[in-house]
Amino acid sequence: MSLRSDEHRWGAAAKLFHWLTALLIITAGTIGLLMGDMQPSMNKISVFALHKSIGLTVLALFALRLLWRLIDRRPRDQPEPRWQQLAAHATHGVLYLLIAAIPLSGWLFNSLHGYPLQWFKLFNVPALADKNEAAGDVALAVHETLFWTLVAVLVLHVGAALKHHLLDRDNVLRRMLPFGRLRHVPPNSASPPTVRPEGESR
Amino acid sequence: MKALTLGAFALALALPLVGHAADYAVQPAQSKLGFTSNFQGTAFDGSFAKWTAAISYDPANPATDKFDVTVDLASVHTGDKDRDGALPGADFFNTAKFPQAHFVTTGFRKNGTQVIADGNLTLRGVTKPVSLTVVFAPAGAGATLDVSGTVKRLDFGVGSGDYADTSVIGADVKINAHLVLAAK
Repeated sequence: MSLRSDEHRWGAAAKLFHWLTALLIITAGTIGLLMGDMQPSMNKISVFALHKSIGLTVLALFALRLLWRLIDRRPRDQPEPRWQQLAAHATHGVLYLLIAAIPLSGWLFNSLHGYPLQWFKLFNVPALADKNEAAGDVALAVHETLFWTLVAVLVLHVGAALKHHLLDRDNVLRRMLPFGRLRHVPPNSASPPTVRPEGESR
Repeated sequence: MKALTLGAFALALALPLVGHAADYAVQPAQSKLGFTSNFQGTAFDGSFAKWTAAISYDPANPATDKFDVTVDLASVHTGDKDRDGALPGADFFNTAKFPQAHFVTTGFRKNGTQVIADGNLTLRGVTKPVSLTVVFAPAGAGATLDVSGTVKRLDFGVGSGDYADTSVIGADVKINAHLVLAAK
């Protein structure tokens, strides 16, 4: 599998960014939903620290991903109605914005409340702003609202991917799957060039 | 009679030689009993609002010097309401059972040019020796006294159970007190 994306499929780097970010978002989101109700304890401190460390990781991965996107190409759009292509691009754009804005708003909230911020106990990350609890409460509300916006956009993103995979039976999801093989698209459809990925001839 | 007079005279001569440390009154408004600890790799400062200290100090007569300090632990402030709420609790100071900390000196010594006050700190029902560095500076009729030292919180069980994890809550607590003293 090539590190770079080609005309038909995402490269290993793009896949890693996508699936690692997905895993981290699900983990951080689940922790975030549960941690507020915990009784004060060392365990609660550790769980909050984990949520923050994962969030910082998502942000760092996003920065690296943007840099990678600058030098990597992207696979060609699938043959589908123009509005679907536009909707897909718009959804991806909004996802990118949310992937950056949710950790940043959490970091800002943390700073405004004067909490320390550590990345997996390894090093400390500076505050984005001086302590201001009233502003911090606003940042928390933004953080939570953006999270629920993300959930809604992910319903579209995942729903569209599954629709392509299960109903259209095309390569939209397959070309992003870690070990997915591309499907041969029947030659009679108004199709992209068919692909024979290596290993498929067995 | 003559012997008695002589004796009294000798005593009068001897008194200044024995000497006794000057007693001072702490000026609470200008004085501060603070500490610095560490949470998740970041230092934080705290202080106690309520404490009293009996200070007898004369640099020339260390044998008679004495500090006797009582701290109302529930008066702790660290600039964070969650932390201030947790510190008096059973896992930390446990003020319901041990409302006060007490430090009393057992002796003073010189370490190079520094003056060290050795004493016993009683905190959370545990008494352990603690040594503090003393900087005394006469100022007019009074003086200022700066005291610093390090206490290991776990020696006294402050932050017990899971909170004993020093990778999250630092092991050392640096004491820093600045006292403004008026002559009694």
